[in-house]
Amino acid sequence: MDTRTKEAVRYLGYGRHAVDDTIMTLIESSFAELNKIVQYRITYRIFELEVPDSDNVKIGELKIRSKNLAKNLRGCDQAVMLGATLGIEVDFLMKRYSLTEMSRVVVLQACAAAMLEEYLDKWQKELSGKMREKGYYLRPRFSPGYGDFCMDYQKDILRMADTARRIGLSITDGNMLTPSKSVTAVIGMSTEETACHRAGCEACEKSDCMYRRSSV
Amino acid sequence: MILERLGKELIYFDGGTGTLLQEKGMKPGELPEIWNLTHAEEMVDIHRKYYEAGSDIVLTNTFGANALKFHSSEYSLEDIVTAAVANVKKGASLGVCDNREVYTALDIGPTGKLLKPMGDLSFEDAYEAFREVALYGERAGADLIHIETMSDTYEVKAAVLAAKENTKLPVFATMIFDEKGKLLTGGDVPAVVALLEGLRVDALGINCGMGPEQMLPVLDKILEYASVPVIVKPNAGLPKQKDGAVYYDVTPDEFAKVMRKIVEKGASAVGGCCGTTPEHIRKMIQTTADIRVCAEREPKCHTIVSSYGKAVQLGGKPVIIGERINPTGKKKFRQALKEHDVDYVLREGISQQDAGADILDVNVGLPDIDEPALMREIVMELQSVTSLPLQIDTVDGKALSAAMRIYNGKPMVNSVNGKQESMDLVFPLIKRYGGVVVGLTLDENGIPDTAEGRADIAGKIIEEAKKYGIPRKDIVIDVLAMTISSDPEGAKTTLEALRMVRERYGVCTILGVSNISFGLPFRPAVNSNFYTMAMQAGLSAGIINPLSEDMMRSYYSFCALMNYDKNCETYIERYSMQTEALKTPAGGEIPLRTAIEKGLKEEAHHAASLLVKTQEPLFIINEQMIPALDAVGKGFEKGTVFLPQLLMSADAAKIAFAVLKDALEKSGKTEQKKEKIVLATVKGDIHDIGKNIVKVLLENYSFHVIDLGKDVSPEVIVETAVKEDVKLVGLSALMTTTVGSMEDTIKLLHERKPDCRVMVGGAVLSQEYADMIGADFYGKDAMQSVYYAQNLLKE
Repeated sequence: MDTRTKEAVRYLGYGRHAVDDTIMTLIESSFAELNKIVQYRITYRIFELEVPDSDNVKIGELKIRSKNLAKNLRGCDQAVMLGATLGIEVDFLMKRYSLTEMSRVVVLQACAAAMLEEYLDKWQKELSGKMREKGYYLRPRFSPGYGDFCMDYQKDILRMADTARRIGLSITDGNMLTPSKSVTAVIGMSTEETACHRAGCEACEKSDCMYRRSSV
Repeated sequence: MILERLGKELIYFDGGTGTLLQEKGMKPGELPEIWNLTHAEEMVDIHRKYYEAGSDIVLTNTFGANALKFHSSEYSLEDIVTAAVANVKKGASLGVCDNREVYTALDIGPTGKLLKPMGDLSFEDAYEAFREVALYGERAGADLIHIETMSDTYEVKAAVLAAKENTKLPVFATMIFDEKGKLLTGGDVPAVVALLEGLRVDALGINCGMGPEQMLPVLDKILEYASVPVIVKPNAGLPKQKDGAVYYDVTPDEFAKVMRKIVEKGASAVGGCCGTTPEHIRKMIQTTADIRVCAEREPKCHTIVSSYGKAVQLGGKPVIIGERINPTGKKKFRQALKEHDVDYVLREGISQQDAGADILDVNVGLPDIDEPALMREIVMELQSVTSLPLQIDTVDGKALSAAMRIYNGKPMVNSVNGKQESMDLVFPLIKRYGGVVVGLTLDENGIPDTAEGRADIAGKIIEEAKKYGIPRKDIVIDVLAMTISSDPEGAKTTLEALRMVRERYGVCTILGVSNISFGLPFRPAVNSNFYTMAMQAGLSAGIINPLSEDMMRSYYSFCALMNYDKNCETYIERYSMQTEALKTPAGGEIPLRTAIEKGLKEEAHHAASLLVKTQEPLFIINEQMIPALDAVGKGFEKGTVFLPQLLMSADAAKIAFAVLKDALEKSGKTEQKKEKIVLATVKGDIHDIGKNIVKVLLENYSFHVIDLGKDVSPEVIVETAVKEDVKLVGLSALMTTTVGSMEDTIKLLHERKPDCRVMVGGAVLSQEYADMIGADFYGKDAMQSVYYAQNLLKE
């Protein structure tokens, strides 16, 4: 099983349980269908960063209060603000299947999430290589909603990275990203390499989560 | 007047302002529009420089000046816009030294929000925001309105309508395309041009997103389709980043060189966007000074209808218009409309798209129905599940107008006819909203018996349309197929009229094909043969049932025979397996119960169809289906069955239920009365997967779900609960930000309908949270909601 399939299975809540053939076929055909319509788009901007204390972060002119983010960014002096999306066609596709085949909607949703993460990982690896040449090391992505990094900051990231104009990514009054299969994140840039930084799922404190990677 | 010059001589716009504002000390995060008031001198200076460089049109610094994007407690929008116009005019008075005529363009940019159905901004609210700015701009003395940097066809439609309906100013619109010639929301060049020209903009084009070089191929495409003057305003290359700042590095000389190419290709107005400076504009003007007279461009004659993401062109390969969204002669469809079962209508759309339709006809006319409201709703909902363009089919002027207004794209309109009354009603709407209109060849004297007579009426319709400025390419003639059982010459007359109309006027044609066999036995045989004959006679679009294999066989064969299907690829793909006999599903004979438990849809359909021949539907439900659903539900609770499997079973059960329902109806029995439950995703929440999961499961357990959709206000939920007298409402919310509106809804419900219980669910909720907001039940997963509903309503 490739990584994104494994991730999709995890998002579907299977934990360590095996997936039967019918579901596997559904997952494969969902990936195939998504491959035809996703529009991978990403945009970012780099800002000056300060971490004055363990509760606060300042990126450009934006002040953020978050212990978890401050911890993630400690030792960095610049930050990448990014927005990424798979595009609006994914939403149309899911809406369409919600009328005819609900099981596929749930699987499409998991597969799309896995594709978006995979895309971001690949993109970050490339950026990491480029930044290494300039003497910078990248921290793991950190998104609003992780720990105490409040979802309200999504708006600011979108504005600072100019995502509406560049990639068509915007937000509703209720703080929901549109298109729905989208991500905002902050990536710290440091001149020092930090060993073994915990990333993504494993960094979360909610250890009893049914979606946790390598969960019980 | 700008319109007298545009298209005849080359017109120059200004360039970017962002870089210049930064140079003058604007900080990141500051709202640039405020500078019109706080730094008027600096703004005037920037405008002056562009006029000095030679610009004919300078844009006001109002890109983000709309109520949805501009939030300031200190400054009013009206003051900002008024000052912005005054600043440009002052810049002109200082910067224009050669007495040339120059213009102030009110700049309107996007709202930065996505419109419904995928976002949360309603079309009307977007329109209102643009209307406000347009009014201020005209009042302040702007000479034209320039709508730019749009990446959504729906939003640009709102902006253009707001500008045209509320001011007398010329309206220009430019959009951002990517290198592939697509908008961020998926639309392509033909779709965008069709939409904007339909809305009667005075000029259209491309700005931002790319540098001049990258715009060349997109420009070629625009010039291929556009009849109105074309505007091109590139960035100074692609954005780059250094030390935290974005910059553009195409130099004025390089910029000017490519801009010359752009003008030579046929652009009528040119300027710059992000990263361009007065120097870029000066160089561009110098480099193009010798070609200031625009070559005359031919009006294009493509007949195009479009949706948000797709354009369909008529006149080449025959186009299929799906006829099934129509209550005429369809009992189930009528029933669905009466019960406001929108999902049923949408599924008719999806199945036709899957079967190969290019355009969907939409007719929801029934006596005693609020057709304008329903037509509007169905058109909106259809556009959220299919990208096919729609043909709005109604005789109700109000319904037509309501649907055309909110339609995302350039619709097809069915229909106008030769009666003066009909033309007086329909043509003004086409002029206002754009559209390709079907012209029926009948008039006050009825339908002529001869091809000649029908062609004459077509001519009359085309002439009358001309008075409204509606070009011939936007008219598709229907010469009407009359049944051969009452008129033996009917088919011959129709075919002759088809040929005549095409030859005489060069317009596209359309026919409701299946009328031809009315009153005859075994109609598919006659229909499919007549369909082929009509295509051979030049039919551009047949209104047919794409689910009829006979019709599709004719269609694919015709396309293969006439070389519309390259190497017969489509034909082969579709029919190479046809030699194999139809077989039972791969799994063989599987009992219904097992099929449902395993979530096998085809098998469930097959098994149910067999069972229903020998057993009562109710017996099958109780003995086979409910036990299967229960077993899967229990497994889900225990953690041995997972959500996708639970839903596959639900999907399979749904299909089996449909088979049983059909059987019940055929035997003349009605279903048992079902308990009603209202489901909704609360206001502010646009994620509805959770709610839809619960819906599918509840329906399988024989509840009648009234699905109000997503982002539903407390008032609508409560009103429905009261009106339908439901005893249970299910609410879903995904995020903390929307739990507040869930709480409001619960309060209002308990107040206005105390006997109604509320169950809640969603990612953000917990038992504690649910208690806190006063919910009667918290469903931690979809099955829990089913059990609660059963306990509450069925005991």
